Amino acid sequence: MKKKALVSLLMTATLAFSMLTGCGNSADSSESASTDKATEEKSDGGEKADGEIKEFTAFFATPGTEINDDNEIQQIIAEKTGAKVKETWLTGQTDKEAVGTLIASGEYPDFIEGGSGTPQLIDAGALVPLDDYLDSYPNIKALFTEEEWNKIRQEDGKIYFIPQFSTIKGEEKVCTHNDEAFWIQTRVLKWAGYPKVETMDEYFQLIEDYNEANPTMEDGTTNIPYTILCEDWRYFCLENAPQFLDGYPNDGSVIVDPDTLKVIDYNTTPTAKRYFGKLNEEYHKGIVDPESFTQTYDEYIAKLSTGRVLGMIDQWWDFAYNVNDSLKQQGLDLQGCNYVPLPITIEKGMKNQWHNSGGVLNVSSGLAVTTSCDDVEGALQFVNDLLDQDIHNLRFWGVEGVDYEVLDNGEFYRREDQRMTAADTAYKAAHLCTYSYFPQYNGTSDDGINANKPDGQANEFYDGLNSEVQECFEAYGAQTYVDMIGTSEAPGSWYPMWSYSNTLTTNTAGGTAWIKMGEIKHEYLPKVVMADNFDAAWTEYMDVYAGCNPQDFLDEMQTELDRRMEEAAKFN
Amino acid sequence: MSFIKKAKTNTIEEPVKKISWKEVKRQKVLLIWSAVIVVYGLIFCYFPLAGWLMAFQNYKPKDGLLHSTFIGLAKFQQLFSDVTFLKVLRNTLAMGVINLVSTFVMAILFAILLNEIKSKGGKKTVQTISYLPHFLSWIIVTGILHDALSASGIVNELLIKFHILEQPLNFFAHPQYFWAIVAFANVWKETGWNAIIYLAAITAIDPSLYEAAAIDGAGRWAKIKYVTMPGIKPTIMILLLMNVGNVLNAGFEIQYLLGNGLVQSVSQTIDIYVLKWGISQGDYSIGTAAGIFKSLVSIILIVIANQIAKHNGEERLF
Repeated sequence: MKKKALVSLLMTATLAFSMLTGCGNSADSSESASTDKATEEKSDGGEKADGEIKEFTAFFATPGTEINDDNEIQQIIAEKTGAKVKETWLTGQTDKEAVGTLIASGEYPDFIEGGSGTPQLIDAGALVPLDDYLDSYPNIKALFTEEEWNKIRQEDGKIYFIPQFSTIKGEEKVCTHNDEAFWIQTRVLKWAGYPKVETMDEYFQLIEDYNEANPTMEDGTTNIPYTILCEDWRYFCLENAPQFLDGYPNDGSVIVDPDTLKVIDYNTTPTAKRYFGKLNEEYHKGIVDPESFTQTYDEYIAKLSTGRVLGMIDQWWDFAYNVNDSLKQQGLDLQGCNYVPLPITIEKGMKNQWHNSGGVLNVSSGLAVTTSCDDVEGALQFVNDLLDQDIHNLRFWGVEGVDYEVLDNGEFYRREDQRMTAADTAYKAAHLCTYSYFPQYNGTSDDGINANKPDGQANEFYDGLNSEVQECFEAYGAQTYVDMIGTSEAPGSWYPMWSYSNTLTTNTAGGTAWIKMGEIKHEYLPKVVMADNFDAAWTEYMDVYAGCNPQDFLDEMQTELDRRMEEAAKFN
Repeated sequence: MSFIKKAKTNTIEEPVKKISWKEVKRQKVLLIWSAVIVVYGLIFCYFPLAGWLMAFQNYKPKDGLLHSTFIGLAKFQQLFSDVTFLKVLRNTLAMGVINLVSTFVMAILFAILLNEIKSKGGKKTVQTISYLPHFLSWIIVTGILHDALSASGIVNELLIKFHILEQPLNFFAHPQYFWAIVAFANVWKETGWNAIIYLAAITAIDPSLYEAAAIDGAGRWAKIKYVTMPGIKPTIMILLLMNVGNVLNAGFEIQYLLGNGLVQSVSQTIDIYVLKWGISQGDYSIGTAAGIFKSLVSIILIVIANQIAKHNGEERLF
């Protein structure tokens, strides 16, 4: 009897134990499942489908949309170049986590864009040095000047990745402001009779006034006057406005004084205090969305897509591609729900540098080929082919006669129905294939007429705007988004400093300080905005902030600034 | 083969019954099957422990385990001088204990209450419904929580309707609610599932005991107190012991998915710390050190709990 009891007890125990371990391991197993998938795809890589076409895999440590396996343009490109790439994107992780997991497994896709995890990839020896290959691939080689290639070299003097977005071919053609700004819906400006809005105070006053007069949208949904995205690394929407408000460009992690060439910490400037003080005031007035600090990126995009949000700070690339298409599909663009940027500074009459002309060379990450790739030549050949003008047109314009038309003078344009389909998610997945994280050109096409991308084509761009945005632009005497806020040259050869702070790791004191500063700001900036007593909260924040030795970080930034200026001097 | 021999030689000195070749032959099949399990354990449980070496090295993926430099206990020192880690440790322990107590008590209560339901169909229905949430993944549960507790969610709407609140409260913006939300989510998700074991244990109780108790004039309450509870006590003890060892597994997904900047000082657990510093920052050594520390504490907790159980003459693991 006793034995029986013991046996049953053991059985229960094993059952319970297996359940417990089952729960505990679930995180691991999902991870290994995803790596399994990666290896599976990898092994497909060697096979030659359709007799000729090579298949590569790519992982981009940034969120993106997967296209269908039988995507039409991908197939056309595959037939022309003899290769195709299965792209996977970041989901539910940060870029560094995804990269760290890949490194731990030691298995990589053929191509990788590691985002801020790139230094780790280089450190782990996961990337193939490209120096010896570059000369055989003229299109890739021509992406950058010798000076620029030099900037991309790592400490060991080798080139490991190709920045994708920095090349302007021919004359620059820019219509969108692809960067950060205070955005506002056109309906707000229209209601107020298109006033001149120059300062942060005016901006919030306008939003307050509008919201008081029109608390709801046309269909009765209540407006959200101002929301702030601050999930993980995207908290720049809350965090880095003080540098712009003081009239500096997006160095991202510090301000650089162009006269003295010294770095300045924008977190502690009087402007920073005024900016967060203003947000605090607006938070208590109910203007700042109370869910700001707890919403995820997906929730934020969903919110913007309903057209309820009157204004926010963000980077164009962070919201516009998803949100604009969605607004267009719902017809909300005709209710004035599209966003336009405003030239906001802290005081009236200051020069703003929200927009810089010229490509910004991102020296911290780019497209890389990994050591798991069996056919480095083939991979680079494919990248090279993607830069051929006709392939490039296929990527960004689509198929002639289907996605765009050509005028007698050779100029490309799209009909309204073509613009509509180009904004349709299902169509994009089935038909369009931009290979968006592979190297590409901005500026002018080889034919000297067309822009390399539709959003740079002045006529096409303007015709593609809905009447509300056109009316708004007209009222401000603008043709493009850039005209709304003006433009200025890149400030100097150090620019941008964020490409260095992105590569900092805990190996140095400055890197550790930088990571700790980030943690502190993630916690305290929302606290400061929500605090009942702003001044007390600000003082507390400043105390804690000083505790993570920001000076270590600033010193390292200064050293890098000096180094960059020296390097640049060699080429002048 | 050597394994069997060893077992044989070991037992020779002991006055216990000798294991003869005949006995071994008779149990051949059983031994082969156990050998498979032992090999499995060696490969998947013990062999990976070699990775613990990382914690004592300045591990670089490029150099691998064999060529990284040894730095002794430096990573552990770094760990314990890091204020964040101490905070993370506190959060893990606090959430672990809260979760343990709440899910444990709720599961037992639920099992006993369910057992008191006389209608067989009703019982089955309630049981099935109650353990379904166990099969939802955390990402879905946190999604539901996010929606339910959002400013326009059902919880806020009800609270406002009943005039308990005037303004919607953003639950995720206040550190003081975080542990409670996590505990609630755990209870909601796991109560039904955990109750299954207790229900099974209750079913195993000899019905004649209930009859005898009824003859002695015991009511429902007395039956629970004097028959059911003592009947499932061994199960409770064993599960408690094993769960104590799990206290530091306070969770990863739920805190990771529900956390945000405002509550990070109370939401981060050791597992998140490992992910953040070990995987994200590429400092695999410190991640491993934190992992080792967690395992050691778990083992110590189990041993202590086991000794206490032994001392009190209760059921125990070893």
